[in-house]
Amino acid sequence: MVHHPEVEVTPFSLPAGSMRLAPVIQVAGLQKRYGALTAVKGIDFTVQRGEIFGLIGPDGAGKTTTFQILAGVMEASAGSVQVLGRPPRQARLGIGYLTQQFSLYLDLSLNENIRYSAGLREVPLDRLMERRDRYLKLMNLDQFGDRLAGQLSGGMKQKLALCCALIAQPEILLLDEPTTGVDPVSRRDFWDVLAALANQGVTIVVATPYLDEAERCNRIALMYNGEIQQMGTLQDLRIGLGLHRLEVRTNDLATTEQVLLDAIPPLPHETPPPLVDVQSFGDRLDILVPDHATGEATVRQVLQQQHLHPSQIDYAEATLENVFVTRLRQQGADPPFIPLPRSLPRTSRSLAQPRGSNDLAIQTRQLYKTFGNFRAVKDVTLEVRYGEIYGLLGANGAGKTTTIKMLCGLLPASGGEISLAGRSQNLRNPDLRRQIGYMSQKFTLYDDLSVVQNLEFYCGVYRVPRAQRREKIDWVLTICGLTGQEDMLTGRLPGGWKQRVAFGASVMHEPEILFLDEPTSGVDPLARRQFWRLIEDFARRGTAILITTHYLEEAEHCNNMGFMVAGEVVAKGTPSAIKAAQPGKLIEMITNMPQVTSDLLKTVLDPWRVSIFGDRLHLVLDHPDSDIPCIQDLLQEYHKPDGTILELHSVRAIPFSLEDAFIGIVQRSEQTT
Amino acid sequence: MKRIIAQAVKELSQFRRDRLTVALAFVLPLLTLLIFGYAIRLEAKNIPIAVQDFSNTPLSRRYTERLFATNQFQAAPLLGGSAQSVLDRGRARAAIVIPPDFADCIQRQEPSAVQVAIDATDVNNARVTKSYIEATTRFFLRISGLQSVPQRLQARIRIWFNPGRQESLYIVPGTCAVVLWIYPSLLAALAMVREKEQGTIVQVYASSLSALELILGKALAFLVVGLSEAVVIITVSVVLFQLRFAGDPTPFLLGTPIYILAAVMFGLMLGTKAANQTAAVQGVALVGFLTTLLLSGFIYPVSNIPFPLSLISNVIPARYYILIIRDAFVRGTGWTGVWFSLTMIVVLGSVLFNVARRSLSRMQVSD
Repeated sequence: MVHHPEVEVTPFSLPAGSMRLAPVIQVAGLQKRYGALTAVKGIDFTVQRGEIFGLIGPDGAGKTTTFQILAGVMEASAGSVQVLGRPPRQARLGIGYLTQQFSLYLDLSLNENIRYSAGLREVPLDRLMERRDRYLKLMNLDQFGDRLAGQLSGGMKQKLALCCALIAQPEILLLDEPTTGVDPVSRRDFWDVLAALANQGVTIVVATPYLDEAERCNRIALMYNGEIQQMGTLQDLRIGLGLHRLEVRTNDLATTEQVLLDAIPPLPHETPPPLVDVQSFGDRLDILVPDHATGEATVRQVLQQQHLHPSQIDYAEATLENVFVTRLRQQGADPPFIPLPRSLPRTSRSLAQPRGSNDLAIQTRQLYKTFGNFRAVKDVTLEVRYGEIYGLLGANGAGKTTTIKMLCGLLPASGGEISLAGRSQNLRNPDLRRQIGYMSQKFTLYDDLSVVQNLEFYCGVYRVPRAQRREKIDWVLTICGLTGQEDMLTGRLPGGWKQRVAFGASVMHEPEILFLDEPTSGVDPLARRQFWRLIEDFARRGTAILITTHYLEEAEHCNNMGFMVAGEVVAKGTPSAIKAAQPGKLIEMITNMPQVTSDLLKTVLDPWRVSIFGDRLHLVLDHPDSDIPCIQDLLQEYHKPDGTILELHSVRAIPFSLEDAFIGIVQRSEQTT
Repeated sequence: MKRIIAQAVKELSQFRRDRLTVALAFVLPLLTLLIFGYAIRLEAKNIPIAVQDFSNTPLSRRYTERLFATNQFQAAPLLGGSAQSVLDRGRARAAIVIPPDFADCIQRQEPSAVQVAIDATDVNNARVTKSYIEATTRFFLRISGLQSVPQRLQARIRIWFNPGRQESLYIVPGTCAVVLWIYPSLLAALAMVREKEQGTIVQVYASSLSALELILGKALAFLVVGLSEAVVIITVSVVLFQLRFAGDPTPFLLGTPIYILAAVMFGLMLGTKAANQTAAVQGVALVGFLTTLLLSGFIYPVSNIPFPLSLISNVIPARYYILIIRDAFVRGTGWTGVWFSLTMIVVLGSVLFNVARRSLSRMQVSD
């Protein structure tokens, strides 16, 4: 059970007067060149005290370089950078920096890590003890002081790294993708801590590949190709995009998507066409339109011509992902979508056909796995048909990877039945193995081989016929945007690219059953979209796909999903069904003091029910009709010592996101156990 | 200073945490000491020698007995073959053929020639065998009263420092020097390169720790580790190989920490240059191990090293430490013999320290 203690942090020592007005970070014309490559091409931005400033952008956009320069660990090639009114190198004592790799010593305990960070910055011992206790409590790590950092989960590691950065009470936190690979519950926790810190005057610059998370920033800068393309609040960016979103639900998603895609004129557009973009999700299509009403009319008209009838069309706001993707498309940054050149005949199975028992590609009954006396997987029963994308979701350590490993035959099950492609015996059979593709969580490529050598190796392993190898390898290189660079060492690729190559390597033999264990971890949104188009293409051609992911926004692409908590599947169904099954409502609340409101509400509500998104709050209320008046009363009673009162600007119900559903399910099931 | 201590404390907790490293830090040096201490024997004993005695007289038999009177040689059976065939088959390292007229000639006071064939595949031992046979022959002549003219000039030899000519007194101090160079530098190199490999070095860059503080902090930690290794190694040497201080131990007690510090600096320097742990290990193994083993005078005298290589041996700290440690345990001359060596170690250590500091001086991510 996640519990937030009252945040009681002494205010940071602010130099009198001047600092409050001057921006804490001032960047003008910043450039960085590595040899012939210009990583950052002259960017300008300022960050005010207490602001959460988000940097988002695809891999290789120059975010990490920018962070390294701000942290004073790298020289800029040109331009001026002022941090706390000084060059970054002189401001290092006022900066806490979390690098992309875990910034911890995994062979030291929590306390030793903190003590070392404090020692480097000469924090006096008494302050160290006091701050350590306070921050470990804030991060819910207080009972793990003597545990080795290496034994913590990903989310806990990042919280510890944040503790280490905070121990010297920096005025600025630079966080370079701190939540990559961290599960949604821990991520939300982490962001709640960030919101609390920002409220105390800590300035935070953060990069993240999770765009739903980036929505919690006060301002966001979209970086691409070494330049800032757009900057502003979420609202500014949405307005700047000038597009709205339609959610279309229909029985025949694939055909509908194709018809609508054909209706979009090719880039570049002078004025926005009535339909700008179509993206398919597990049980709906998202369509970007300049205007809701004309957009809906156009969609209906286009579909009418093909005798298609959408069952439902809803109006929604553009997401940050829409902004990101649309903006980058205009830059021509969209990686190409090319279906895999196939040699095997297309299987006739598809989701549209009626269910039959021989359609089942993956089936488990009461699957168990115990390690010693620890039950990693309990009673997992699932069915995945050919042509279906099944998402297995859950926090770190929920048993997803263990389940996949058992299905792949890499781990023997402790109990239960597994059948793959109709076989339940001899799962290590080579013929069966050749129908299976598996991409594991950790990189499966050899870092010291070139990209093409890796691909040739996997062609050999999976016995891709020699005549087709060239074609298949070229395909992988094209979808990865690595044509012409195939002799590059794999170890030198950025993480997101490596993942794409690894995906390519695991599907070259045209598997009928595909296991993907967090394939998109650390992959930028554009590439993730391409990933999903490829995955959907495989599904359409009859491949059964079992996928795990931490990105709940992309879990919407799944046809069916199961939520795992502590080794058990606690909820399953289509994305819409799971969201609809959530008890209560999601309430968006806007007040003049979001942090104060959040602290107040957490005294009467379970802490997980309250989270801050930039300038607004999200509340999960089981009985909104009776709860809201109580909350309003509570907030009205509050006033600050100086007399300012808490003003409630708006309260409205908004639809549940899958992430809200996920956190609700996890928290409720942990409460009952 | 506080930050140096903080750095050192962190290194030591990391070191202590990794049982494998702790085991390596103490087990490997001990193994090296035992293997080198027991296995390296330069002086050959019990060399097999075949004697073909065609004379077969009391005199020739006395000569043969004299040859085998010490444990230097051991009789190899001829098994009916000729002297040459015994050498060819490798059953003997030397063959001695005593002619049929051996006793007659000597009784007639005429010179007699004994044929000696020596297998010189092993160059060193061939030389030893040769001079030993010569010396034995001279000695035989003297005690048999066959030498007509008394020797006018006699060398009266006294063996100093190691009168029993115990080989372990030569090998073991040298082994200590090799061990105390290799292992502290290996551990230090790994500790440095691991920070780079795992990216934690960026955290150090982002704090305001200077290169000087970083290096001194790490050096302090591994000096402590190195000194504990030294205590273990020297104690074992005292117990197993009867090493005793021969004179004033002060130069040794002062020189050992300085030498270990130089070794740690060498490791840190390799660590700053190497890209990953494998490269660091190979660096220590190739550069460190080979030079201390072959160019330091550990086994072969430094004066034997031919010209361009001999220049390299001048910058090998182990060469100077070997002089110090041999002085402490064998020669016992105290300061007079070793002050120059100590100075050289200090100089070389500072050079290594400066190279390491310079390659880290920017304390920034390289482009």
